[in-house]
Amino acid sequence: MLEILIHGAVSSAIYAMLAVGFTLIFGVARILNLAHGTFYALGAYGAYFFTSHLKLPLFLAALLAIALVAVFGVVVEKVLVRPMRRSQLAVLMITLAVALVVEQALFLTFGSEYRNVPAFVDAKFSIGGVDVGGQRLLALGVSVALIALLWVFIQRTRLGSAILAVSQDPEAANYMGIPSDRIFSIVMGISAALAAAAGVLAGPFLTVQPTMWLLPIVKAFAIVIVGGLGSIPGSILAALMLGYAETVVGYLISSSWTEIVSVAATLLTLVFRPAGMFGKRAAF
Amino acid sequence: MFGKRIDYAGALGFIAFMAALPLVFGGNYLIGVLTVSVIYGIWAVSWDFMSGLTGRENFGHSLFIGVGAYTAGFLNTKFGLSGWWSLPASMLVATLFALIIGLPTLRLKGPYFALAMLSGAVIMQRLMLIFWEQTGGEEGINGIEPLIRSQLGFYYFALAALVLVTALLLALARSHWGLILRAIRGDEATCQAAGINVTFYKIASLVISAAFAGAGGALYAHYQLQVSPQLFAVVTSITIITMVYVGGMASIYGPVGGAILLVLLTELLRNFGEWRLMIYSCTLIMILFFLPNGLIAPTWRRVKARLGRPE
Amino acid sequence: MKKLSILFSAVCVAAALATPPARAQTKPIRIGVPTAMQLQVGRDTQDAIKMAIDDINAKGGVLGRKLEMVVADETENPETGISAIKKLTADEKVDVLIGGYTSGVTLAQLPHISAAKTIYLGVGAASPSITAKVKQDYDNYKYIFRVGPIHAGNQAKQVTGFISGFIKGELGISKIAIVGESAKWVQDLVPVLKKGAIDAGADVRLTEFFDSQTSDFSPLLAKIKDSGAQYLIVILSHASSDIFAKQWHDARFPIPYGGIDVKSMDGDFCDRVGGKSVGEMAANFAVRAPLTPKTIPFFDEFKKRTNRSPVYTAFGANDAVYIYAQAVALAKSTEPNAVIKELEKTSYVGIPGMIEFDEMHDVKPGGKGPNFLFVQWQDKCAREVIYPKAQRTAAYITPAWIKK
Repeated sequence: MLEILIHGAVSSAIYAMLAVGFTLIFGVARILNLAHGTFYALGAYGAYFFTSHLKLPLFLAALLAIALVAVFGVVVEKVLVRPMRRSQLAVLMITLAVALVVEQALFLTFGSEYRNVPAFVDAKFSIGGVDVGGQRLLALGVSVALIALLWVFIQRTRLGSAILAVSQDPEAANYMGIPSDRIFSIVMGISAALAAAAGVLAGPFLTVQPTMWLLPIVKAFAIVIVGGLGSIPGSILAALMLGYAETVVGYLISSSWTEIVSVAATLLTLVFRPAGMFGKRAAF
Repeated sequence: MFGKRIDYAGALGFIAFMAALPLVFGGNYLIGVLTVSVIYGIWAVSWDFMSGLTGRENFGHSLFIGVGAYTAGFLNTKFGLSGWWSLPASMLVATLFALIIGLPTLRLKGPYFALAMLSGAVIMQRLMLIFWEQTGGEEGINGIEPLIRSQLGFYYFALAALVLVTALLLALARSHWGLILRAIRGDEATCQAAGINVTFYKIASLVISAAFAGAGGALYAHYQLQVSPQLFAVVTSITIITMVYVGGMASIYGPVGGAILLVLLTELLRNFGEWRLMIYSCTLIMILFFLPNGLIAPTWRRVKARLGRPE
Repeated sequence: MKKLSILFSAVCVAAALATPPARAQTKPIRIGVPTAMQLQVGRDTQDAIKMAIDDINAKGGVLGRKLEMVVADETENPETGISAIKKLTADEKVDVLIGGYTSGVTLAQLPHISAAKTIYLGVGAASPSITAKVKQDYDNYKYIFRVGPIHAGNQAKQVTGFISGFIKGELGISKIAIVGESAKWVQDLVPVLKKGAIDAGADVRLTEFFDSQTSDFSPLLAKIKDSGAQYLIVILSHASSDIFAKQWHDARFPIPYGGIDVKSMDGDFCDRVGGKSVGEMAANFAVRAPLTPKTIPFFDEFKKRTNRSPVYTAFGANDAVYIYAQAVALAKSTEPNAVIKELEKTSYVGIPGMIEFDEMHDVKPGGKGPNFLFVQWQDKCAREVIYPKAQRTAAYITPAWIKK
């Protein structure tokens, strides 16, 4: 029981980090960014590259990786996404193409075999008789902290209010003197940074190889839709639901069924609540 | 019914070109690539009919393709039925699945609809793997018999099928069907208020789209001589959407060109070895970025405009 | 005047006929290589074939003809695999195909290879269904041979030998758990393995399959712990062996594991998981040990050329080129039927062992043929052969946190 609680929490935390970033950029800029999984991958690869090729200390490598991915996200938004904003499908397709190009670049640069992202914490912890890897607990802790930080940032700071304003009505925000274009870029950067952080934290215990972007984005997509596009509380709730559903099924039935259960749950949720749990109304 | 004579001329020219290609360049490799591209064309056209016109993007088109292909596989290997039975059977099964997934998802639109359809395809893919004893797991069903033994013969049959499907769907799209479907895309509530049975048209267009996708799946099975769960994959659906995009959404005929172009591109790039997929993806970004309305349909429209003067 | 021109023409014609046809003999023999180019198995397949080709060409080629390699990417997708075969046979018109990796792709390619009447020497796919067709439909499928790896059924037998000879025999452990990814070849193999283990006196506490995409093994590991097993046998190929090793290590899982772990065959596997696989025992087809006179020279030459340690497809690929060359030389032609007759009689000292084909054109394991070596990752990512005892290079170690 305790095992399910702890491992479910870790899974949910990683999913939440990915989902929150994804829903954030959609909520604010109405961008369905299929390259979100790519930011996750680049975070992990960045940490790997800086530690093993440039021999930087882990903490520095992690920060550097996250910062660079944030910049990359901003560049992608400015150069490729903004001109396509009229059509949601166009944005979807071009971000997908970006994901494919980066995947190939990773194949050609680092090869197909998985790489090693060093862990911050190597020790094992025993909580109530349950063995958990230290890195997993760290991922859980940092995810919660970052999401809480994001929440505070949006609710309490001026920039956060600007973001809220733009998410409700970009034109009106413009009239009020808020540069919505710049806000889009900033939010994309934050979104990318969150995904990259997830990559850095989860890389040590999950797989790091060029195709690692696909599964997270499919899961993030499902979570965000079920939670309600654009709703951060919705994403967190849906992430918890998915994380725990998978863990419970894995423990009680078999790991072969986890995938199908979560997808079936997604489908059922959509059938009964077409706009997701928190719908389109709740922006944040 | 089809519009100007120039459209007819263009279509005939295209068909003649496609029919002549293997005769001029020859070789089973080219015929193979062309046949596969033509089948993708059928899938792309069927997608465009529903999703292009109504604007409800279906990210699970691979579901109908897969069930059509597996139906053909089962009928042939387990029951010994020839491919000529598979074609109608696959259309029937695909129709059934369209109803199963289409009815509960009527209310959904946009990314919600996309995800629901995608989930359907993923569930079927998983089921194929879970029930590996019956379906062959990830090795799939092998040893399917070819529909037509001659490589060239099969190609012409597939080409004819593509022409037939495209003509049919073009006719529907230019009729009041197309009008209503486009109206639904614009403002569903008003259509409903105007007394149009929106539900019927939504379901019907999905069923038609699915039936032809399933038929394409059966053709595929009897050509490749095997089916595998990879047919149900997200990648398959996305590839087809890309083809429609490159061809020109909602044009019905554009996706034909999109499909053939992209399949040919993937194969022609083989000479670049490891760089094949990288160049392909970069080309894709270029097309998506610089030609947001697609390549084929807008080009044809421009050609028509230029030729239209003297007529 | 007329007589002179007739004489002149006659002399010219005679001269032309007398000149031997120079072009025909120098046409190279083309080897088509369908493989997953972006993966390590693909890279090593190509490099190993290139090695063999360079060697044979330096010695004058085959029947006076040079060997040439043409590669086509088959990825892990059957559709791309089928078009790769068509490209190689119909477009590039190769004389023989050497390659393969994913069983699903190879199975999809078989009817198209047969239609092209081209010999195929498999080096990477393990499904027994591939060679079963040779017996079922000889006329159409006689072209198919498998040089490596030993097929899944034989692999199961070898793992059974490992369980009874080492796990039970030497470590004295009889409570085992068997887990494998839910790939068809594993699903076919595990029942055979389980029965063999039970017959050998093992107590199989748990048998479970998991999805190849699994990224969280904690539920599975918890179940294994609860089952009371004391050794974990794994069967992994496409699944995430790296995640498994990392999570096993991170949780300081109290049960050692080993078995078939294809990714763990890589020389750098241990480094890539940050040393977390120390303690794992993985089956290997060949390591740098004197299994045959060819083994160590191959490893050294491969390392010199590519600066990498070869993965399992390299052994089959390298051997396949020599085997084919030998068959062509004996048949004195590249005509498939003639070559097939010689191939069937092959008895070649290869890298993992003696290569001979059974009636299904499948490599014969055991005895002098290729056998599994159970190799353990030890401190500083060193690899030592533990089983069979005859080839042992070091003593077995228990993972650091397990009290023994």
